[in-house]
Amino acid sequence: MVILEAQKIYKSYGNKFNKQEVLKGIDVSIGKGEFLSIMGASGSGKTTLLNVLSSIDHVSTGSIKIEGKEITSLKEKQLAEFRKKSLGFIFQDYNLLDTLTVKENILLPLSIAKVSRKAADSLFHSLASELGIREIEHKYPNEISGGQKQRTSAARAFIHEPSIIFADEPTGALDSKSASDLLNKLSELNMKRGSTIAMVTHDPVAASYSSRVIFIKDGQIYTQLTKGEQDRQAFFKDIMKTQAVLGGVQHES
Amino acid sequence: MSLNQLIFRNLKKNLKNYYLYVFALIFSSALYFSFVTLQYDPSMDEMTGSIKGGAALRAASVLLVAIVSIFLIYANNLFIKRRSKEIGLFQLIGMTKGRIFRILTLENFLLYSASVIIGIGAGFAFSKLILMILFKIIDIDMLAELRFSPEALLQTAIVFAVIYLLIMLMNYLFIKRQSILSLFKVTSSTETRARKLSIFEILIGIVGITLILTGYYVSSKLFSGDFTNMNRLFMAMIFILASVIIGTYLFFKGSVSFIFNLIRKSKNGYLNINEVLSLSSIMFRMRSNAMLLSIITTVSALAIGLLSLSYISYYSVDNGAASSQPDMFTLADSEDAAAFTAKLDAENIDYSQKEIEVLQANLNIGDIMDSALEEMNFDPANVSMGIVSDEALEEIDAEADEVLFAGYNDALGRFYNFEDEGNITLFSKSSSMDLRYIGLEKQSVVPYFFSGGGFPAAIVDEAVFTQLQNDLDPEIQLETSTYIGMNIKEEAQYELANEVFNDLFADAEGMNMSRMNSSASQKLVMGLAMFIVGFLGLTFLITSGCILYFKQMDESEDEKPSYVILRKLGFTQWDLLRGIQAKQLFSFGIPLVLGLSHSYFAVQSGWFFFGNDLWTPMLIVMVVYTGLYSIFGVLSLMYYKRVIREAL
Ligand SMILES: Nc1ncnc2c1ncn2[C@@H]1O[C@H](COP(=O)(O)OP(=O)(O)O)[C@@H](O)[C@H]1O
Ligand SMILES: [Mg+2]
Repeated sequence: MVILEAQKIYKSYGNKFNKQEVLKGIDVSIGKGEFLSIMGASGSGKTTLLNVLSSIDHVSTGSIKIEGKEITSLKEKQLAEFRKKSLGFIFQDYNLLDTLTVKENILLPLSIAKVSRKAADSLFHSLASELGIREIEHKYPNEISGGQKQRTSAARAFIHEPSIIFADEPTGALDSKSASDLLNKLSELNMKRGSTIAMVTHDPVAASYSSRVIFIKDGQIYTQLTKGEQDRQAFFKDIMKTQAVLGGVQHES
Repeated sequence: MSLNQLIFRNLKKNLKNYYLYVFALIFSSALYFSFVTLQYDPSMDEMTGSIKGGAALRAASVLLVAIVSIFLIYANNLFIKRRSKEIGLFQLIGMTKGRIFRILTLENFLLYSASVIIGIGAGFAFSKLILMILFKIIDIDMLAELRFSPEALLQTAIVFAVIYLLIMLMNYLFIKRQSILSLFKVTSSTETRARKLSIFEILIGIVGITLILTGYYVSSKLFSGDFTNMNRLFMAMIFILASVIIGTYLFFKGSVSFIFNLIRKSKNGYLNINEVLSLSSIMFRMRSNAMLLSIITTVSALAIGLLSLSYISYYSVDNGAASSQPDMFTLADSEDAAAFTAKLDAENIDYSQKEIEVLQANLNIGDIMDSALEEMNFDPANVSMGIVSDEALEEIDAEADEVLFAGYNDALGRFYNFEDEGNITLFSKSSSMDLRYIGLEKQSVVPYFFSGGGFPAAIVDEAVFTQLQNDLDPEIQLETSTYIGMNIKEEAQYELANEVFNDLFADAEGMNMSRMNSSASQKLVMGLAMFIVGFLGLTFLITSGCILYFKQMDESEDEKPSYVILRKLGFTQWDLLRGIQAKQLFSFGIPLVLGLSHSYFAVQSGWFFFGNDLWTPMLIVMVVYTGLYSIFGVLSLMYYKRVIREAL
């Protein structure tokens, strides 16, 4: 079952006289329970695509349907409503609120959705245990490590069981151990809970945790790879090969 | 890009951001200029004559300079910190510190001098209005003329030039002390890093609230008879001041965080958007702004308190004159009275005249009176009072063995307290009479002069009065024992009669008194005091409002990333705005409410020395102050609105 269907997405920045086309007609569809990676060189428009798909930014033209609902025509208020119900976000720089504790940060989406306090508490306990952040629930973001921050951020994305979770370079600021920890957790949650995940990354290792990878070049989809039955190692090699062909910079940071 | 272009661009950009700073500059220079113009206005000394209005204004203008310069320096500090990134960037591209300083100096000079010039123009235009307001307040019929005063211009120019140099000096020191790296860090180091509340802070929080409440409690007991000598009274006042001021500081340092933390704890991690934006942000920020906030709160309390007291005095002038002089005119003796009535007759003015015989006698009122200040040299068993016969008064009647008091003064009333009834002994020279005290009339019947300066007069039956008259103690009698009072029947002729009175007794000092004259001269003093306090209060209000606004501007920039996150999570602009409203309610409301409550307790502990009506004048002052102050809250809300709209 397809959960997100985007057709002929165009996106340009700037004004009439000084226009920069970043996305030039992209079609993507994401199935329910899928773990999709989006790869591409730096500046190729990955973040732009993710923002557009996740309703944070507007497309220039094109259509995006999530669960059969056209989101490009929605008003600001409806979009916000939609985001809080159906979407979850994980960002490279964590995007946690400094003045809130870990637990308060994680419970935010539930408080918008007006879930009862008791239900919220039990949701928090099970998810925090899965992600291993129970012990730090009363700490503030500046008192915990990057990996813990990102797991907190992930918990916040998952807690209200959204239809899709968008992640923009979630491992970008993490060391390799914390990164693989996080990716393991993400794919675990993806399997166990059947959550749909769309993740932007420039790291082939990170991409190898997903079930499908699409490559973007010059604002268009260059190609895509599916993991299928092969193991992670083999999928990783495939990705490396494609990336070499793509000729992009392998590591942007 | 050339240096000039750079300056011009920065100027344009900053103007948009700092329009309130520019406004504050214009406003303070306008205020200052018009104030100084007033000070140099010849009509000032003319009308105030003996009380040296010019000198009072001069003293006030010094205070005005202090407020304005502290404010401008503070505002400049905020702004230069915000621009540290830009300054660091200039340094990074190879500009020397000296050059950057020159750019800043030039840029500031343009902004500053333009604002001051506009301000002086506005001040000039407003000085007439202000003079008119002053004349209205002190109840003087004089035409306010628009006079340009070169001395005022010079003084304003010098004062603001000095402030400018001071600001430049601060900027110089700031740039000099910073390295490129630290310049980048200034804004990014958040005011407080979020962390758990320590036991120590919890303690501070509790102590703060306790100190404030203790101060309030003692202040309410100040003049209720618990502190019975001057020394202890003075100590109590010092104690109140210290405990409230320190309490205020600790309140911002700890109590706010402590209370907010309790609320937060009770939510168990489940915060709604209002709580996210208000509670969690404020509890960290108030702590780091404790000093600033407690200064603002204390000075606001002072401003509101002084304004209330001066307004109370002003408001009570007519009432006070009526109780110290029960009739429109008080005449010393029958000769003066005859001269006056002759003139009145000649002018065809209708009047009524009364003569009241007032004897002085000692009384033992120990039975109906309890406490008194020890040091007032006052023995309730032997009090000298003015005695009046009930025959002389139309509306009051006393039975043969009765006595009642008339004329109650709020200020003195704090020091003594009469029972509702009891027994009194009246001593004549060689004997004494036991009388029954039946109560107190508020309205006085003879001037203060006859009743020992504010103490009530005793009214007795004609029989008792005659008995006393025949056996007087000559030592305690006043020079004159006849009070002659006169009233004008037609309200419309009152003013004319007063002119007649003034013509007749222009140089006859002493016992001839006109209530209208006393009222007018008191109004002049009180009005001028109120005007000056009001002026300073307004300046302080606006500067402190601006400072809070600037702070909020800063905070909103700091918190912008949070708004981005929240909007991504699906909170709408309106959700955020509602949360910010809650936050502003606290940010502006806590210092305001605390300031109001401080001033309330200060005023209620001693207002009766200033007049006889507390609530109306005090509430008017508080409402006006709150209204003006709220403008800044609303302005900051509008700023936030823009920031939130741009966040995503
Ligand atoms: N807000 C914006 N305004 C103008 N140009 C932008 C904006 N955001 C991104 N771009 C441009 O779009 C291109 C793609 O950016 P982005 O999607 O962030 O790339 P990626 O995430 O793949 O590194 C870049 O060339 C960038 O300059
Ligand atoms: Mg990117």
